[in-house]
Amino acid sequence: MMTNSPEQDRISAMIDEVEEITDDISDVKIFDIPVLIIFAILFLIVATQFFTRYVLNDSLGWTEEIARYFLILLGFVGGITCVRKGSHIFLEFAYGFLPLKTIKPTILLVEIVVVGFWSYAGWLAIELAQKTNSNMVSIALPKAYLYYVVVVGCFLMALFAVHKLICEARKSADQVAREKRRNTNEGG
Amino acid sequence: MALTVLFILLFICLFLGVPVAVSLGLSSLAYIMIAGLPDVLLIHRMISGIDSFPLLAIPFFILAGHLMNTGGITTKIFAFARALVGWLPGGLGHVNVGASVVFAGMSGAAVADAGGLGNIEIKAMRDSGYDTDFAVGVTAASSTIGPIIPPSLPLVIYGVMASASIGELFIAGLVPGLLMAVSLMLMVAWYAKKRNYPRDRHIDYGYIWKTLKEAILPLLTPIIIVGGIAGGIFTPTEAAVAAVCYALFLGLVVYRSLTWKHLIRVSIDTIETSASILMIVASAAVFAWILAANQVAGLLGDALLGIADNKYILLLIMMAITLLIGLFMETIAAITILVPVLLPIAISAGIDPVHLGILLILNLMLGLLTPPVGMVLFVLSEVSGVQFERCVKATIPFLIPLLIVLLLITFVPEVALWLPTAFYR
Repeated sequence: MMTNSPEQDRISAMIDEVEEITDDISDVKIFDIPVLIIFAILFLIVATQFFTRYVLNDSLGWTEEIARYFLILLGFVGGITCVRKGSHIFLEFAYGFLPLKTIKPTILLVEIVVVGFWSYAGWLAIELAQKTNSNMVSIALPKAYLYYVVVVGCFLMALFAVHKLICEARKSADQVAREKRRNTNEGG
Repeated sequence: MALTVLFILLFICLFLGVPVAVSLGLSSLAYIMIAGLPDVLLIHRMISGIDSFPLLAIPFFILAGHLMNTGGITTKIFAFARALVGWLPGGLGHVNVGASVVFAGMSGAAVADAGGLGNIEIKAMRDSGYDTDFAVGVTAASSTIGPIIPPSLPLVIYGVMASASIGELFIAGLVPGLLMAVSLMLMVAWYAKKRNYPRDRHIDYGYIWKTLKEAILPLLTPIIIVGGIAGGIFTPTEAAVAAVCYALFLGLVVYRSLTWKHLIRVSIDTIETSASILMIVASAAVFAWILAANQVAGLLGDALLGIADNKYILLLIMMAITLLIGLFMETIAAITILVPVLLPIAISAGIDPVHLGILLILNLMLGLLTPPVGMVLFVLSEVSGVQFERCVKATIPFLIPLLIVLLLITFVPEVALWLPTAFYR
């Protein structure tokens, strides 16, 4: 019985229909380019380290430190994309039973908190950058450069949160509540 | 006083739906200000919290998992699992569990497993005459094997937070993960007998061979990852990079199914997931540092030890707390909040951090299967079109085998610990 039974064929066909990742990149915006570059460089650095350690048997000293710095950038710059698309992780069970009327004010309050936190964090990062005058360990660059990128990341997160705040504020309370409820029910 | 503010503010923020990273950061900032410490500590601790080489495993395991969803890999594995165990009574139920085990060896997240594979599994089972409830229940329960069998994102986070060896944690998850699979398969067999579920014809070695040949390349992924780490060839971070390179090789060279657009799509998805996790870990580092400086765990530990001086009763209490938190909180967030509180207590009671890690993650996985925030159920409900409430009910019976495995690992630490002891210690 080397041939597939009709049922096996049918299931394979069905599976092909539900396939997998799409190549729809319409939601990727110009703001995402910096973090895509950071991610690509991070991959290349770690792959280089991997290659030099296994193939050349002599790992490059700077790769580990620089990879860690790029991971930090991935977090703080990637965070901008998360704020823009609302994909930061939050707990949503309260929206299931909060009274409808309170949902819009709650969401506005949350966005204000987010704006405030990232602005202040950005401010603190400037202070940290100014106080840091040491160089990176493995290459002769001031470590403050890393912190300045974090500054930009924090402020842009705050900026996109302001944008979101304005968008939500313009919608009617009903619309905000409906969107939120729907997302919650879908686990969005 | 400052600590009270910290906790109250944290829970208010979390409840209102403030992003977890901001909730942790803001409440820590409030503590720092009230305690009169320099504010700049906040950002400094956040940055140093993710300045970690082991954490690099996270984006690359996520990327590898996404890439493995291209090129018909899901299809090939499902077909192979079906040929292998489909002839058992209740066949597709076993296929479901078996495919989840294979996928667990490629990706590190339960929710992703439920979304990708779950859709196919539920459709196939319904079409073959299984009850929808049974299909949903098996799919939901088996997707929680994902983060127990390596690679595992939650175990990486736990390892970083607890300063435990991620390699040991990964290897420790292997036996418990397989036990979960066996217990679920027993449950499937029991249902199949009771409800007289269909099976595929007889075992067909030719078909097994044919599907194996097609699935062999993707099937090597878990072997590379698990074997590489267990054999001491790779660190977990290197294993993640190796998995990405292998997945790229499959997608670009062997199956030629990846395009530039796919790569950008997958990269953006990976960046979003990674960054949202990294931001939580960053803020959690500040939170954990505050708890450690105040010996909060010591206080709670004394209180717990006052109730129970037995190590196992202590473990049971900790599991109950974890289960409760897991009902309401997303996995990564729960780990970052629980570890700084529970780990010092566990260590002083002589509980192995690796043992605690496996228990904690397994426990939190059960939270993914229960309302109000059962993420796996949300995803399954979405992909299968089955109502959420019905998914909840359908999954309840399948919590029993998982709970039994949890209790077994709680009282017999060797189940989790013998492999890492054999390989590492």
